Amino acid sequence: MTTKTSLLKVILLGDGGVGKSSIMNRYVTNKFDAHLFHTIGVEFLNKDLEVDSRQVTLQIWDTAGQERFRSLRTPFYRGSDCCLLTFSVDDHQSFLNLGNWKKEFIYYADVKEPEKFPFVVLGNKVDVTERQVSTEEARQWCQENGDYPYYETSAKDATNVAVAFEEAVRRVLAAEERTVHLIPTDTVKLHRKPRSAAACC
Amino acid sequence: MAELILPDSRRCHYFFLYDGSKVRGEDDPTRKGICYFYPEETPLDKQDLLCSQLAGVGRCVSELSSSQVSTLRLRRCKFAIRMKDDFFWALGCSVDTPTVSVCELLHQLINLFCFYNGPVRMSYELNSRETLAARWTCFLSHLLSAQSPLHYIFSCLRTMDLTNVDPLLLLKAALILQACQRCPLVLAGCIIFKGRVVSTQLSPELTMKVMVHEREMYNKAQRTNGTSAPGSFGCAVSSTGVFLTPPELQHLRSPPVNKDSSSHSSSQKDALPRRSRLSRTLSDTPSSEPEPSDPTSPHSSQKLSVHPHWSELDNSVFSPTPTQSAAGSTTCSPRAQRPSSSQRRNSHKAEEETLHKFYYQSFHDSTRGVSQIEGEESSTCEGNLHLNGGDGACETEFDFSGPSANVKTVSGDNEACCRSTKDHMTEVKHLTLPHPHTLESNEQSSLIAMTLYVHRVNSLVLALLVEPHFLNDTASIEEVYHSSLASLNGLEAHLHTISPAAPEPAGQYLFAHYDCIQNTLTTNVSGRAVGALEHPFVRATSLLHSHFCSTETLQEAIIRSAGTAVYGTRNVAQETFFQQLGGPPRNSGIPNHQDSAFSLPSKARHRLLKHGVNLL
Repeated sequence: MTTKTSLLKVILLGDGGVGKSSIMNRYVTNKFDAHLFHTIGVEFLNKDLEVDSRQVTLQIWDTAGQERFRSLRTPFYRGSDCCLLTFSVDDHQSFLNLGNWKKEFIYYADVKEPEKFPFVVLGNKVDVTERQVSTEEARQWCQENGDYPYYETSAKDATNVAVAFEEAVRRVLAAEERTVHLIPTDTVKLHRKPRSAAACC
Repeated sequence: MAELILPDSRRCHYFFLYDGSKVRGEDDPTRKGICYFYPEETPLDKQDLLCSQLAGVGRCVSELSSSQVSTLRLRRCKFAIRMKDDFFWALGCSVDTPTVSVCELLHQLINLFCFYNGPVRMSYELNSRETLAARWTCFLSHLLSAQSPLHYIFSCLRTMDLTNVDPLLLLKAALILQACQRCPLVLAGCIIFKGRVVSTQLSPELTMKVMVHEREMYNKAQRTNGTSAPGSFGCAVSSTGVFLTPPELQHLRSPPVNKDSSSHSSSQKDALPRRSRLSRTLSDTPSSEPEPSDPTSPHSSQKLSVHPHWSELDNSVFSPTPTQSAAGSTTCSPRAQRPSSSQRRNSHKAEEETLHKFYYQSFHDSTRGVSQIEGEESSTCEGNLHLNGGDGACETEFDFSGPSANVKTVSGDNEACCRSTKDHMTEVKHLTLPHPHTLESNEQSSLIAMTLYVHRVNSLVLALLVEPHFLNDTASIEEVYHSSLASLNGLEAHLHTISPAAPEPAGQYLFAHYDCIQNTLTTNVSGRAVGALEHPFVRATSLLHSHFCSTETLQEAIIRSAGTAVYGTRNVAQETFFQQLGGPPRNSGIPNHQDSAFSLPSKARHRLLKHGVNLL
């Protein structure tokens, strides 16, 4: 029924070179560029989509994976509605670092209830033949860390990219539903992101 | 306070464009020839009077001397003059304004007009006077709305305050521009944030021109949108036709390798015998030696032999055979259009000391000139005569990096001489601007149409100079748009979060550092309204800058009043000005080693290091 568009901020985190920028570009412009520069700091693109008959503007924030860009990217974690933890299936170290990325996000985004925050895990570059991370291994990590949905994607051949973002949106909307129930129904929703205003420590 | 701010708000007293071809007959009213007059509310009679007087004097003098007029002085007003075909431009500023700045302002204004409208004659045939008047007003207001009075003095670009910006973001901006260049139809571009340059691949002159469109679009958007809601990510792409001069275009199209080699000519220049430090004692050994940097001290012989720019200048101007000049231009014509500011300023010679004089130079007279400097000027005049004769083929005539041998001989053999006449009202200066004024005015007829592509993301703007058929090439447009959009969004977000620099603790010192190559200024004098504290510094800087421009051998100078002293130093690439505030000045009236002014150079060196200014 409702046609109101809401803006959802989704952030891509993960080691440098796992393909975060490529995933974003594939999803928004349906293009793949093998010669992208390293991302410096953060970048973002907007995409309008309809999920379960709700109009949503997805704002996808792509971040720099390299450690030296840390101070540039972390201020932009705040206000995220969903975090896409990304690794590359041909780079085991990037998989091992997922936990660190999650910690970094929770710390800088100032997430109030980390266990309820919607994370989605993406194993990118499934088009590559020499895998270092098996699907089972990845699924197990997701299971153990909070039952996160896991998608194996390829920005190069567009495998699962759209599906993953749609899932992210569903997660956010579902999380919102739960919050909305706590509020009287005919009020204006001003506090979609109350956590950013919450005091830390 | 009020009288301190007032002169800044009216930096330009008059500006007009007069078309002599409209006033031929005895009965033709002057106003028929007035294409544009600023301020527009000036009574018509006064407009008539000024236009006819200045145009008349200008024409008379140029005909008598067979060379162009560059500045005229009328009472308390200093006019920069440009004459081209039947057009006559005059821009009047207060006499306090350095002559270089006035001439540069007019130069920029005309260039700006031609950049967006094409050749003047053509644009007046295609458009109504009202339409073009609005454009002149727009360009003028853009040029006059400098960040600070200091920016106005140096006619420099508005840049981001880089002290607060992470260098990685500058790298990001540079990479965005490079990524756009992967499309072969994109020549080069720049990135601007809130009206200030973040990164540019264009020459300072071209960057300045490009920024005007950006600001106009922004103002327009502000007017129509009112206040845009924060957080809404409004993006807009627009484009407009622009006109480049052949050297500008050649420089943009030449592959980076050639650009390097052309900029190499500047390093070769640096490798030429450097000017000996005439005033070594001032900054190096603070001693009791009397003011060594006195600009009037006679160093004329040294001046001729050691000055790299003059030698080049004279050489190019005196090259008698077209073949020689043409050969030179093939190697370095890209540079010809963008001479370094110091070169540009060489041409404006000392003027302050000759106020209240009417003088002009003619090479038909055989008496030696008033001073060495004016002798130099007249030699430049002859060069221009030569240039004007070769109308149309002008770009081939300039060779700024040619060998600089025998300059002394050239000057010595020069039969051109000067004559000075006294008059109490007007001062006339001859064309001492061999370039780029003449150069570009001759090129107006051969301007090349290109396209300016502008992509705005809130306060951030990507401006690209592209081939005209870029706009018909949907694939290219999409490529450029999509390859830059995410990064622009991100860069905007980053720059947006940068908090303005914390104000400097007041009362320590004031400084201004001007980069002549990039045409940028670093200073801790902030704001448009200069307070009483900064006013002496701004005035002294203006005066010192003027002296530096007019006296090429001058490297360091101190200007002082009873209460304070301002130190200025310069080299080929930069000028730096410094004033220590507070502390009792020890000033006995005559120079002695206890004088606090002599500690200024070392103080400047130490204090400015943290601003990234290295005077060592």
